[in-house]
Amino acid sequence: MQSKTLGWILLAPTLLILFFFGVLPFIYVVFVSFHQWNPFAVDPEMVFNGADNFRQIVFDPAFLNSIGVTVLFVLFAVVSELILGYVLAQAFMRDFPGKAIFRTIHTLPLIMAPIIVGSVWKLMTTPSIGIIPKFLDDWFGITMNIATSAPAAFATVVIMDIWHWTPLVTLTLIAALVSLPSDPFEQAQIDGANKRQIFWHITLPMIAPAVVATVFIRLMDALRTVDEVWMLTGGGPGSATRFVGVHIFKEVFPKTNYGYGSTISVVVLYLTIVACWLLYVTMLAPRSKKD
Amino acid sequence: MSKPLHTPLATTEQEDETAPPEENAGFLPIETNWFDRLFISVVLWIALSLFWFRFLEPAGLSIWIANAIALVMAFIIIRKG
Repeated sequence: MQSKTLGWILLAPTLLILFFFGVLPFIYVVFVSFHQWNPFAVDPEMVFNGADNFRQIVFDPAFLNSIGVTVLFVLFAVVSELILGYVLAQAFMRDFPGKAIFRTIHTLPLIMAPIIVGSVWKLMTTPSIGIIPKFLDDWFGITMNIATSAPAAFATVVIMDIWHWTPLVTLTLIAALVSLPSDPFEQAQIDGANKRQIFWHITLPMIAPAVVATVFIRLMDALRTVDEVWMLTGGGPGSATRFVGVHIFKEVFPKTNYGYGSTISVVVLYLTIVACWLLYVTMLAPRSKKD
Repeated sequence: MSKPLHTPLATTEQEDETAPPEENAGFLPIETNWFDRLFISVVLWIALSLFWFRFLEPAGLSIWIANAIALVMAFIIIRKG
């Protein structure tokens, strides 16, 4: 009993911080999502409008388009990061000359703030001064301008995200691979299993929890991407890179439409939770005994 | 020094105290406890409401019908899921 009390006392600071900085703001956002509220209008009062914001959101073409663009972005970015991260993790499990330096350089993007990453990539992709359009033009004769070409802008944002976040995937997968026991692999090799069979039937099932945790983290991050994209493309050209985070930003800050912005936030949170839950259920959840 | 040297750091009694809540094998394809089923019910309620707003409310069907359906579904899922 005493250890339980001590446990609660030790947990109390964390729980209090979580309550005041996590739970309370969430409840407030849900509360605001049922209101029409523009604090900078002539009448800054919150007006309760029931579920009207939710009625509006399912017909809002800008929001639906932003969801579509975000899903595409998440698919391209997260899948690429996972594959690339696994390949790099396997590479780092072996010894090769310059491994330590390469690993350090490879991890450097992780320590950069997203807004800085966006600024650097903006400099690198600006046609008159950027290194990427220059070399694309010199070597392949390709004219690249992310301010006017929607596919180029979208591809650049995806590549920037892959460059920024693949090291995180690599590090988590290295941790998972290092902790694997060697016995099953030796037994599989003795039994004559090839590399593909070992990967699908031993490696992947054993690192599945780490893979799912990594995908959770990247999925949640990618769904709320704002600063990098805001800095690089501002959501354009048109709505090519207007991801849902950027859409919320534009709705809340330039338009000061706090009620509707909160509604979008709540719906996006809902979609994020559902996506993560479905991923968990399909990959990790214990099956029912009747199966 | 009063404890015997062979006392394990983690004991089975300690594990029993923190055992997870009882799992239930209902009609859902995964093992769930009552909180999982409540979560599934809330997720379905929100999905049904958004679907209703988009496709059925314009045809004149009130959202309260969706809420009633969601409530019945929640009852069934929590009791038998």
